[in-house]
Amino acid sequence: MDNEHYSLRQLNLMVRDAIEMHLPDEYWVEAELSECRERGGHCYMELVEKEESTHTPIARASAKCWRQTWQILEPYFERVTSQPLRAGLKVLLKVYAQYHEAYGFSWIVTDIDPTYTIGDMARKRQEIIRQLKEEGVFDLQKELQLPLFCQRIAVISAEGAAGYGDFMRQLEDNPYGLHFDITLFPAIMQGEQVEQSVIAALEEIYVQSQQLTANGQKPFDVVCILRGGGATADLSGFDTLALAEHVANFPLPIITGIGHDRDESILDMVSHIRVKTPTAAADLLIDHLQQVLLRIENAQQRITTAISQKLSTYSNKLTTLQTLIPTLALRILSNSHHRIEMLGSRIPVAIERRLTSQKHRLENIEIKLQSFDPQTLLSRGYSITTHQGKVIRDPRQLKVGDKIETRVEKGKFKAIVQ
Amino acid sequence: MKQEQKYEEALAQLETIVRKMEANEYDIDQLAEQLKTAQQLIKLCKDKLTKTEEDIKKIAEEK
Repeated sequence: MDNEHYSLRQLNLMVRDAIEMHLPDEYWVEAELSECRERGGHCYMELVEKEESTHTPIARASAKCWRQTWQILEPYFERVTSQPLRAGLKVLLKVYAQYHEAYGFSWIVTDIDPTYTIGDMARKRQEIIRQLKEEGVFDLQKELQLPLFCQRIAVISAEGAAGYGDFMRQLEDNPYGLHFDITLFPAIMQGEQVEQSVIAALEEIYVQSQQLTANGQKPFDVVCILRGGGATADLSGFDTLALAEHVANFPLPIITGIGHDRDESILDMVSHIRVKTPTAAADLLIDHLQQVLLRIENAQQRITTAISQKLSTYSNKLTTLQTLIPTLALRILSNSHHRIEMLGSRIPVAIERRLTSQKHRLENIEIKLQSFDPQTLLSRGYSITTHQGKVIRDPRQLKVGDKIETRVEKGKFKAIVQ
Repeated sequence: MKQEQKYEEALAQLETIVRKMEANEYDIDQLAEQLKTAQQLIKLCKDKLTKTEEDIKKIAEEK
């Protein structure tokens, strides 16, 4: 017996017999998928169990799902969990053992319980949320504010994706003619590379946002992480701790529009604002800027009103003054006229008085003079005697024989002194 | 006549003449001459007032 040799096939057939005999049933097994590939309609998987703290594999096995079963299980799993079966997921599989002498050992999958995977994902999400809260970063984005003029937008999205197209169209066609500057940072938005790809895009935005533009401004106001279009969306790539940490700690406000109506992803929870679709993200930005525009227009309106009121007040004052000035000026003129008239009327009075007093004076003098008129004396009987034109006041002025002339009232006569 | 005399100067001169007339400060010979001057001054002032009044009315109507 000890010396008997077996061919490998013989020995393998013995293993097969043993397995079929001792493991005849189907079992529900919990495992993590380390590989999952479809080939020829069949699905080939690698199952692994890892030690919880160190993550080192402590069990490993192949698993297969034949085409007939896979055709049913694949859409079922995706419908319930909103994501395809892929490496990294924890799964609950119904399996039976199969050992083939030529192909070796394999678990054959006959059923899958997607709720287990959902539960596991939920547990992982809760764990990530707990950790983010513990780090104190969970609400950091909520403390940021969209700048008033939120126009320079860094977009993380897949180039050429429908959602990004919707976003661009919505912004460009906004009815208010608002202008937005959009810079795309392309990233893979589906599958296992989401985390790494989006983080790389965030880092690139961060680097660029540290460099000021030519007019001394930071180049971006907001970051939008966009994905959309697809009916069922695999969001598991967005539910990782590293990505959530990057988003939570990002210095610019981040708007997520990653297109799904189910539970929020962790990214949505930590972002500044979450909206359902890229189109909704565009609407939000338009609305925000429109509100700012309204504020400006309102202020403009108030300034215009205030100024025109002021102008009208001044204009009224001017009109009043305008009508007042001629009145005042004419009054002044009228006063001046009056003054001139008064002055003028004083002149004849003054002259009249002056002339009258002079006349009076003259008359007095005349009267006085009259009393001295020799004719007056002559008429009273007096006479005047002259000798050679001189009036004789003393007889001694004369000697005998002088010819004298005497004037009386009614004429004169000559005589000779005896 | 002198070159363009200011209204205020003319008025002041007129007032002086009237005051002196009333105070009998002119002799009779000067009187006629001063009266003539006074009448010229009155005409000058009135002309200025009339012209100014017309100007003001014209400006007021312009608006």
